[in-house]
Amino acid sequence: MRYILLTSIVFLLTSCTKEVTPTANIKGFSYYPAGKLLPASSGTGRLGDNYIYAPNIRFPIESAPAYINSQVYGVGGYLGPKGSLCDQKNYAYPWRDNYCEKRGWKMPLCAGGKGHQGVDIRTATCEKRKYYAVAVENGVITSIGKYTVKLRGVSGRTYRYLHLDSRTLQVRKGQRVRRSQRIGLVSNNMGKTPTSIHLHFDMKQTIKIGNRSKSVFVPPYTSLIDAYKRLLSGNP
Amino acid sequence: MRLLFSILLTSAFLNAEGGVLDVDWSGVTKGQQKLTSYPLVLTKGIANVHLPVYVANSVAHNNNLVVVADKNFYSISLDIRGASLLFEGDKTYQESVDKSNPKFKNLLNHISAVEYVASEGMMLAEFSKHGINYAITVECEEPKTDKRCSEQGFVESLYNEIIMVGGRP
Repeated sequence: MRYILLTSIVFLLTSCTKEVTPTANIKGFSYYPAGKLLPASSGTGRLGDNYIYAPNIRFPIESAPAYINSQVYGVGGYLGPKGSLCDQKNYAYPWRDNYCEKRGWKMPLCAGGKGHQGVDIRTATCEKRKYYAVAVENGVITSIGKYTVKLRGVSGRTYRYLHLDSRTLQVRKGQRVRRSQRIGLVSNNMGKTPTSIHLHFDMKQTIKIGNRSKSVFVPPYTSLIDAYKRLLSGNP
Repeated sequence: MRLLFSILLTSAFLNAEGGVLDVDWSGVTKGQQKLTSYPLVLTKGIANVHLPVYVANSVAHNNNLVVVADKNFYSISLDIRGASLLFEGDKTYQESVDKSNPKFKNLLNHISAVEYVASEGMMLAEFSKHGINYAITVECEEPKTDKRCSEQGFVESLYNEIIMVGGRP
């Protein structure tokens, strides 16, 4: 108990830092901390939650570079600075978390109980049907919807891949897949109402609380930072 | 330094050891378990599922169902005109936390019989039965204009007609 109290106090004190400097890393990779959304009006992230919910997963895009940042509040986004969605600012480090970004969707893990259920990832360039999304762990493809592929990993965690090009999918329902196996090409598919070119990636897992449980979309950002570092170091 | 303490704090509350939830079979009637008039694709697909299996009554007899399952989970999908339906149940868990965990205290407020959730142009019904978590997902070809995916009514009607079609202890 004393240990928990002590770490809580230290955590609260260290959380008071106002501006956060991106963390530099290998091959120029840098990122803002988990929960640091852009701008302040885009919502409240889970600042300080650096827990890796899905340890040792493979990064869901086959090759680097890739960029996690907001589709809505980035350049060209409908609530972002005016410009092209293909603006170079959207295709550059540092990464920016967008889990819990403002949405009208129920999200018990976000402040206010609503928010973005995963993160949006841009590929190396602003081109659709060029970069593969891959399996983050061994598992089975449980469903393929109009614009969603769902993978259930051997961990029991489920991962949703949205906006892949339906015509280039490399998997079928019920197919067992290996970590790093190609799933499909990143695109702007959202049925008959296309979206911007990106992969929406989210992770759902069941959390047991005492003798009750809840299946919930958990923060993917720190797990993806961890995975991306392995990808950059040549050991995905 | 901040990262280190954050990790320490989080790890003090979390137990990354996953496991399998106990199914409360007391609420499952014997009559429900004996239902056998469903398509082979369904009965064969869920033959080894060790949790109660629920689908909407209106689709349970459809021969085009696709079933992906093992003993701990099932996923039953069906394409209908302009939309995909998905019925899922899973008895595994990936984290175990204490009730006092401040990071997850809100979760307890969201554990209810059924909750309707919009998600990336889809509509979900998430519900709990027998101590297990289930979900129904409706995904539309035209998510912005198809009311089945922009309003709660359709997924709610699917939830209201779910029936147990199999599963065993």
